[in-house]
Amino acid sequence: MLNRTTAPEFQTIQEVNFPAARTQTLDNGTPLYIINVGQQPIVRLEVIFDAGTWFEPKDSVSFFTMKMLAEGTKQKTAVQISEYFDSIGAFIDLGHGSDRANLSVYGLTKHLAAILPMVSELLSEAVFPEAELETIRNSTLQNLKVNQEKNGYLASVMLRQSLFGNAHPYGKSQQENTIAAVETQDLRHFYAQRINTRPRAVVLSGRISEQDVALVNQFLGQPNANWPTADQPTTAVFDGPQNTTQSRIDRPESVQTSIRLGKRLITRHHADWFKLLVTNEILGGYFGSRLMKNIREEKGLTYGISSSALSFSNDGYFIISSECKKELAGQVSEEIEKEIRKLQTELVPDDELQTVKNYMAGQFVGNLNTPFEIADRVKMIQLERLDPNYYADYVQKIRQVTPQQIIEIANKYWQIESLSRVEVG
Amino acid sequence: MISYEHFTLSNGLRVYVHQDHTTPMAVVNILYNVGARDEPEHKTGFAHLFEHLMFGGSKNIPVFDEPLQRVGAENNAFTSNDITNYYVTLPAKNLETAFWAESDRMMSLSFDPKVLDIQRNVVIEEFKQRYLNQPYGDVWLKLRPLAYQKHPYRWATIGKEISHIENATMDDVRAFFYKFYLPNNAIMVVAGNVTLARVRELSQKWFEPIPAGAAYQRNLPQEATQTEARFMETSAKVPLNAIYKTYAMPGRFAPDFAPADLLNDVLGRGKSARLYQKLIKQRQLFNNINSYMTSSLDPGLFVISGTVRPNVSVETANEAIDEVVQGMIDTQITDQELSRAKNQSESTLVFSEVELLNRAMNLAFAANAGNADWVNQESDKLAAVSADDIGLAAKRILRKTNSSTFFYRAQQ
Repeated sequence: MLNRTTAPEFQTIQEVNFPAARTQTLDNGTPLYIINVGQQPIVRLEVIFDAGTWFEPKDSVSFFTMKMLAEGTKQKTAVQISEYFDSIGAFIDLGHGSDRANLSVYGLTKHLAAILPMVSELLSEAVFPEAELETIRNSTLQNLKVNQEKNGYLASVMLRQSLFGNAHPYGKSQQENTIAAVETQDLRHFYAQRINTRPRAVVLSGRISEQDVALVNQFLGQPNANWPTADQPTTAVFDGPQNTTQSRIDRPESVQTSIRLGKRLITRHHADWFKLLVTNEILGGYFGSRLMKNIREEKGLTYGISSSALSFSNDGYFIISSECKKELAGQVSEEIEKEIRKLQTELVPDDELQTVKNYMAGQFVGNLNTPFEIADRVKMIQLERLDPNYYADYVQKIRQVTPQQIIEIANKYWQIESLSRVEVG
Repeated sequence: MISYEHFTLSNGLRVYVHQDHTTPMAVVNILYNVGARDEPEHKTGFAHLFEHLMFGGSKNIPVFDEPLQRVGAENNAFTSNDITNYYVTLPAKNLETAFWAESDRMMSLSFDPKVLDIQRNVVIEEFKQRYLNQPYGDVWLKLRPLAYQKHPYRWATIGKEISHIENATMDDVRAFFYKFYLPNNAIMVVAGNVTLARVRELSQKWFEPIPAGAAYQRNLPQEATQTEARFMETSAKVPLNAIYKTYAMPGRFAPDFAPADLLNDVLGRGKSARLYQKLIKQRQLFNNINSYMTSSLDPGLFVISGTVRPNVSVETANEAIDEVVQGMIDTQITDQELSRAKNQSESTLVFSEVELLNRAMNLAFAANAGNADWVNQESDKLAAVSADDIGLAAKRILRKTNSSTFFYRAQQ
């Protein structure tokens, strides 16, 4: 008779074979990282710039410069550019973040030779037409209005503002007046300074041949004698409130309340980083976390609750988020505090800690399979100047964290009085 | 191309194996042939509520997730109008843990009343979070009953109303389990770093002892051919007027789905599509507009949706959509439009096979729809479509009398 009462034997993941990336330098000095893996004949060409919010001289300029990159060049209109990519089934992604910006194109490898000249054109001949800016400005304003109706969006934005301050690149958010104030000359200037022929790095991932690599050098490696010296960004100074804050927006028509708690915290360069990751995982990092078990699975007060430790290049923060039953939001807050206090005072049982470590290791290995997942980690090591073994040693570092260290971390970083709070709804 | 092997257990469970030895991972994907369309109309939202209960403990495993997390697994599930799909991704060397856990809940749930109590509350919060507390969140709750009059697609998977979830009883739960959660009403796909022999051995060990049940005979009321245009409007506190238009179209695996798919691309996919070009770039009537399909197994919907710019009346915007749609019927698409749509589809298909989990799911969907081979025939079907086929699809689908139009007005 089959015994269903005991779980089958299992093995733990102890180490990881992190696939090696090849590094090359294009003729103009730009580093090229090559991740040649995968079965499908696909490629992602990613060009990365030091052009995130951190570097913008005026609010919203980074966002609009990237959004406008494919809206017209000296030779082609916006329509012609989108038809060009669509006609070869390629997808263009113009990304913008707090630290960096990127232009990525996904396509079948057989079309790389067609993708590259267009990418090169966008990076050297974008013209930022007024009419296209108006169209994008309009849709950005309307999207902002839709977002402002969402409690969750407002609560997250307000928390970041309260942690870093309105003017800080990590604290500020889109505003109607700053969107309205952006002009094409701002975008052209930012483009000349930070995009035009000065990528920070190029990352090529997918199934790639030597010929493909040579093509990248041909189109993105041309030396440019006329590089302007980039303006240095004014060093962002933390200007947030020194004390914790509590804010609340009442929305009588809402049927739920969005809760956010958080504080500024360490970056991934900090010696405590891995300990914090494990401690956070136990609190609210996964489906079996204490917050989920208590507040969703035992009390049914929410559809979801989570906590995260997030790191930018120059700063980091910790956040707990939930959308919960409006009339019981107070109870949710109390339970969050209880769970934090418990982590500060009681050793995490071995069994629970093993589960969390095994789960984190499985997640890590499970998200390291497609060429793009691997490329994203290679990128992180290179652009954030992490230890080259940061990911190769990831699982071992997770495994080393002890129950005593978790108590220390919860006390050092999560004093209840040090958390700012936002409620919307 | 997704390679696979196949066998059926004596209790009727169909097993598909897709081997990929380039990854250290494995996926166990179990699709139950039951969705929101199988619910009685006074107990809607139940298939989805039931999906939540599947994580609340089975006969020998008090909490489903825990033993899986312990071996490094990630698992989740989703419910659609057609099916309920559960998946586990884990290190391949711990494959057996997934077999143990999934087979235990296929054999018998714990039927714990406390779990039902809690999950009713969780699902009600999900209802609020996704459908009530979001701008435009209730669109499909309102639009489905307009687009469908007889077929159970007229309600969303979350259910028609919160009271249906509140009223669910343990008797309902038991009846549902023994009617639908049967080995002979499921498809299992095991993918990744696995062998056929090992999957066969584990399937026989863990799943074969589960008894089969009476086969489910699906007999759903089908829509009559629509003969006149439908219209409805509502208003809510949203920033912009929005327009939703649906047209009845063939089901996901029907023979004439491929031309409709490409028609949809030409009309509304991306910035070079007609809707974007004509209504945003040329006439500046919309803030955004696109088209997509519900891709359901029974006849589905071809959807056009957009938000209207503040200085434009909804009526003007709607007429402008109708003109673009009429243009699809009156004039043949260009060679350039055809080749663009085909290249986009080819790319989409190849990219959909990058992730192991997607390959496993695509295989399960095709097998459940009637033939696992269909998963590898998509590419040829799309390649065979001509401009004439698309013209014919436009004439059949985009008729005004086949449409439902919904104005979602912004309250002033």
